[in-house]
Amino acid sequence: MTRVLAQRAVLGVFALTAVLFVLSGFIAPALLSGPSLRTIGVLSSFVIIASFGQGIVILSGGLDLSIGSIITLGGVLLGAWVPQSNVGLWWAVPAILVIGFAFGAFNGFGVTVLRIPAFVMTLATGIIVQSAVLEYTKGAPQATAAPQLIADLIDSKWWGIPIIIYFVFVFIVIASLLENMSSFGRLVHAIGANPKAGVVAGLRSNCVTIGCYAISGFCAALCGIVLLGFVGAPILSMGDPYTMDSIAAVVVGGSSILGGIGTFPGTVGGALFLGVLSNDMTALGMKAAWRTLIQGAIIVLALIVFRSLQSERRRSRSGGAMSAVKQILLSAREPAE
Amino acid sequence: MVVSSALSLYSRSPSSVSITLYIVMFVVYALAQGHFVTTPYGLSVLLNNSIALAVGATSLTFVVLTGGFDLSLAGTVALTNTILSVAGFKGVGGALEALVVVCLVGAIVGTVNGLLVAYYKLQSIAVTLGTMIMTSGIALFMLNAPGGTVPDSIAYGLTGLLGPVPVAIIILVPFTAAATVLLNYTRFGIGVFAIGQDRAAARASGVNVEWTEFRAYLTAGIVAGLSGYLVSAETGTGDPRFDASFLLLAFAAVAIGGTSFRGGRGTVIGSVVGAGLLELIQKTLFAVGVSSFFTGMFEGALMILAVLVGSLGSMMAARRSAAS
Repeated sequence: MTRVLAQRAVLGVFALTAVLFVLSGFIAPALLSGPSLRTIGVLSSFVIIASFGQGIVILSGGLDLSIGSIITLGGVLLGAWVPQSNVGLWWAVPAILVIGFAFGAFNGFGVTVLRIPAFVMTLATGIIVQSAVLEYTKGAPQATAAPQLIADLIDSKWWGIPIIIYFVFVFIVIASLLENMSSFGRLVHAIGANPKAGVVAGLRSNCVTIGCYAISGFCAALCGIVLLGFVGAPILSMGDPYTMDSIAAVVVGGSSILGGIGTFPGTVGGALFLGVLSNDMTALGMKAAWRTLIQGAIIVLALIVFRSLQSERRRSRSGGAMSAVKQILLSAREPAE
Repeated sequence: MVVSSALSLYSRSPSSVSITLYIVMFVVYALAQGHFVTTPYGLSVLLNNSIALAVGATSLTFVVLTGGFDLSLAGTVALTNTILSVAGFKGVGGALEALVVVCLVGAIVGTVNGLLVAYYKLQSIAVTLGTMIMTSGIALFMLNAPGGTVPDSIAYGLTGLLGPVPVAIIILVPFTAAATVLLNYTRFGIGVFAIGQDRAAARASGVNVEWTEFRAYLTAGIVAGLSGYLVSAETGTGDPRFDASFLLLAFAAVAIGGTSFRGGRGTVIGSVVGAGLLELIQKTLFAVGVSSFFTGMFEGALMILAVLVGSLGSMMAARRSAAS
């Protein structure tokens, strides 16, 4: 039942995006042009990367509000450690990814071991990271250009498409496989569908949850790294919009904010939808205030729409407790994929 | 006899931890600041900063007690703050008009939240996240960058002294009393606790769960408006962006005050004192000379500690209540 519903949601989001895209062509034909498409693709790429982490966390039943700060951290650190000539890129990128992963794990630790509500913990971490960045840069990040390789991801094209988009495509494939095919992914679904079962199953479910937040931190750091190529020089607020954008993409993409339901392709669709919408609004010259207002309205609307679609699911949920526990415990005996 | 019953009341109340810490912290702060603190002026400075947070924390308390979260506090504060700094209210009459306006705005936000969470059964975190973003967006329409001026009657009137007494106390005491009565002595309030503890049982006992939960969000919205009013008085200027720090501190105040995030257990006094405690800690750190770098780090760490301490206090109180 839930599989079919999820697939329907994904199709729905992509269809909606296509409709919106065509409509925007009527508003202003320039919006359908190559450069416009490229802008949408590139800007959506960042949201897509960040949204995978957010999506995995939401799938497990939580929320990650520290994504924006970690993105900024990634961008600032890369800008500070690697000059334009790519010297040191080989160690800086893995180091930054590890740092993002570590902050994510810290979030996961707080949520599982200390039992702090997810949004509180991640909000706190976000503020801690933000002030650490502020102190590290003393308010003025080094205004050097981004490492050449990273900037090339955005600027250089193969057959007219910026390299970053190929990169994101590969990312989407790997991420979707991780989420749906691996035992880790199955465990995340199980925990999200029934958190109490997770508590009963104990340590294993804790490790999975910490893993979810760690992945989110990793993705945020990755997003920050590639974002630097787009922004050029690190800005202290570079990551800020992505916290809410990633949540919006996940929600619009059909994932339940309660956890347990959701697919990354859906999230990608959500990100694209919001990307097209945002591009249209910018092209029409709408004030930033509209963007904020509409983003909030869309989150609420998406919730309402998906809730009415999901009302059948809730009735079958109570029977799932035992099977959820079984699934978590049984997975311990399956060979790793 | 009196002492022992007072002690047992103390150990059973979830807010005892925060009250104790506040007293300890106050002593530390007084030692650091010297005589200044015990003058009416010094006291008013201390209270002015805490009162907006205290009211904000109270707003959250109503929702947290039902087992939910209300992120829209930050948005309502931003919106009401913006309205007060651009609308041009004047004088005492204007201050009163402004008060009505902020309550109305808060009520609208609270109504939307309440409808979607209580009747439409949507998740509170998501809904209030959405309304927080929307209210901030509306605020951005009125003011696209921090600026504007809050009328003097509000900014100076509320932060000054009335004779020897800080106006802040004149506001805070009746407010806390009213909120406590609302929560502990009305059917609505008792219903709020019941929903938080066991929804199904509350329904079986005849509590109208949806209506009560709706009113909890409505109340939270109105009180959030009041909090925005006080924030305007304190800062004197407008900011249309939602303040994540304020939100975090408000939740920390609720946590440290002994209100459990699981719902069903907590007090208004705890949240109010918790807010005061957090402000006091920040001011003490500042007085002692800790660099501003640590303020940010500290807020985050404080939040985590607050939840831990609060849940400890809540657990202890629960155990004592069960044992007696």
